[in-house]
Amino acid sequence: MSGVLAVYGKEIKLYFRSPIAYFVLAVFLLGTGYFFSYNLFVSGLATMRETFQNMGLLAVILLPVVSMRLFATEYSAGTYELLATLPLAPWQVVLGKYLGALTMLVLMALGTVLDLVPLYLFGAPETSTIFSGYLGFLLLGSACLAIGQFCSSLTENQIVAALVTVSLLLGFWFVGHLQSFQTVQFLRELFLYVSFAWHFGEFIEGLARFESLALFVLFAAGALILNVCALEWRR
Amino acid sequence: MSHPVELHSLTKTYGERTVVDRVSFHVSRGEIVGFLGPNGAGKTTTLRMIAGYLAPTSGQVTVAGHDVINSPTESASAVGYAPERPALYESFDVLGYLHFVARAKRVRRADTASQLDRVVSACRLEAVARTEVYKLSKGYRQRLGLAQALLGQPEVLLLDEPTSGLDPGQISETREVIRSFGRDQSVLLSTHILPEVTLLCDRIAILHHGRLLAIDSPAGLATAVGRANRVELHVAAGEPSDLMERLLDISGVIRVDVDDRQVPYAVNCAVDSSGNVEAAIARVVARDWDLLGLRRHDPSLEDVFLHYVEGAA
Repeated sequence: MSGVLAVYGKEIKLYFRSPIAYFVLAVFLLGTGYFFSYNLFVSGLATMRETFQNMGLLAVILLPVVSMRLFATEYSAGTYELLATLPLAPWQVVLGKYLGALTMLVLMALGTVLDLVPLYLFGAPETSTIFSGYLGFLLLGSACLAIGQFCSSLTENQIVAALVTVSLLLGFWFVGHLQSFQTVQFLRELFLYVSFAWHFGEFIEGLARFESLALFVLFAAGALILNVCALEWRR
Repeated sequence: MSHPVELHSLTKTYGERTVVDRVSFHVSRGEIVGFLGPNGAGKTTTLRMIAGYLAPTSGQVTVAGHDVINSPTESASAVGYAPERPALYESFDVLGYLHFVARAKRVRRADTASQLDRVVSACRLEAVARTEVYKLSKGYRQRLGLAQALLGQPEVLLLDEPTSGLDPGQISETREVIRSFGRDQSVLLSTHILPEVTLLCDRIAILHHGRLLAIDSPAGLATAVGRANRVELHVAAGEPSDLMERLLDISGVIRVDVDDRQVPYAVNCAVDSSGNVEAAIARVVARDWDLLGLRRHDPSLEDVFLHYVEGAA
C-alpha cells in the first residue's frame, strides 16, 4: 500500500501546483452556485434535486479536465519512464493516481455543501434524499474519472484524452434518449441500463438502488482494470 | 552464484526491425561495465529492458537474481536507473522530488533524511535543494536524475549517458560518484564518449545494430584487435627492399611499408601484440642501418571501436 500512497501524495502535490485543480474547482462551484441560486430564488425550488442534475452534467464535462493529464503528461514529459522503473506494480500506479483524482471529486462535492445552509434555513429538505444525491454524484464521478484515466493512458496528448473522454461520457449520459427510437425491447432496456443520467436520476430521487450503484462501480472497476492492462501492454 | 545483472540471449524486435539481437553478458559485483556503440546501436533499449521499462521479445534478464518479467517489483527494487533525459516533475522542488522517489522505493521513514542528505551531497545539489525543478540548469537536472537513481541503495546502477550536458568540472564529479558506487556495487552505463569508458569502466561492451560485438577489459579488447598495433621507425638510408625483407623475417611483424621518397625513410610495421617486437626490430635495423628513431603505437579505444564497428558493417 505504501507504493499507492507515494503515488497518491505525488498526484495531490501535482494537482495543487498547477492551475488545473483551482480552475476546475472554481468553474464547478461557480456553475453549481449559479444553478442553485437560480432554482432557489428565481424558480422558488427549495430542494437540491435540480442542483444535483446540473452537478451531474457539469461533472461529465469537467472531470475529463481532471483526468486528461493523469498518464498523457507522464508519457509526454518522459516521467513515465521513472514511474515504470520504480518498484511499483502497475495497479499501484493506477490506484494511486485514481485516489488523487477522487480527492478532487470529493473536494468538488464538499464545496457544494455550503448550498445546504440556506436550504435548511428556508426550506425543509429531505436529508436522506440529499445523502442519496451526494452518493450518486460521487459514484457517477468515480466512473467518469476511471474512464477518463483509462483514456489518458492511451495517448501522449492530454487534449486528445480529454476530447475522447468527454465524447464517451456524453454518450453514456445521453444514451438513454435512444430508447425512444427502439422497438426491440432488449435494446430499449440496454440503452436505459447503461444510461448514466438515468441511474444518477434514481439517486437524485432518493432511490439509492443496488443496481445503479453496481453499474457505476462496474464501470469504474472495468476502466481501472483496462488501465492496468494498457500499462502492461506499453512494455 | 548469480551475478547482479545477467542477460541471456536478450532480443527486442519492433515488427520486422530487430533493435537488440540475442545479447548475452553479465555484470559482476564491484564492476563497472560501459556500453559503447553508435547511435541506434540498441544501448538505450537494452538498458530499458534491464530496468524493466520494456519487455524483451525473447531472452531473459535477471537483476539481483530476480527475473525482470516474472518478478518486476523485486528486480526494480535492486535497480537505480537514470535515463538519458532525466525523468523529473517540473513543479516539484529538488527535495520534494527526491522524497517522492524515496517513498516509492520504500526507503524507511527513519532512513529517508540520511539517504536524502547522502545523495544530495554526493551529487552536489545542496545549493538547489529547495529550487523547483523547472528552474534548474541542464547540469543540475542531469545530477538530480543521478541522485534519484542512487536513492534506496540499489545493487545495480543503470546510467544512460550520465555525463551528457555537464561541464568539465561536473563531469569529473559525476565520474567520481559512479566510481565510488562501482567499488562495491555494479554499474552498467552507456556513453558515446570514448575516454569516459577508458577512465571509468572495468569492461567495455561494444554494441552495433543490436548485436554485442565484443565485451572485454580495455586491454583485452586492444589485445583482441592486436593487428592494429604498429611500430614506426626512421632509417637514414639503405636499400628499401633489403630492409623490408629483413623486417618481415622478424617474428611478430605482419606487414612493412617503406616510404623512400625522402631521406630518412619512414617505415611502418604492422605487428601483433605478442612479445617485445619493437626491441627485435631495433636490433635488426641497427645492425646494418642508421636507426634514427623508433616508436610503438598501441591501438587507441577509438581504433578498437572502429575495428569492431567497421568490421560488422
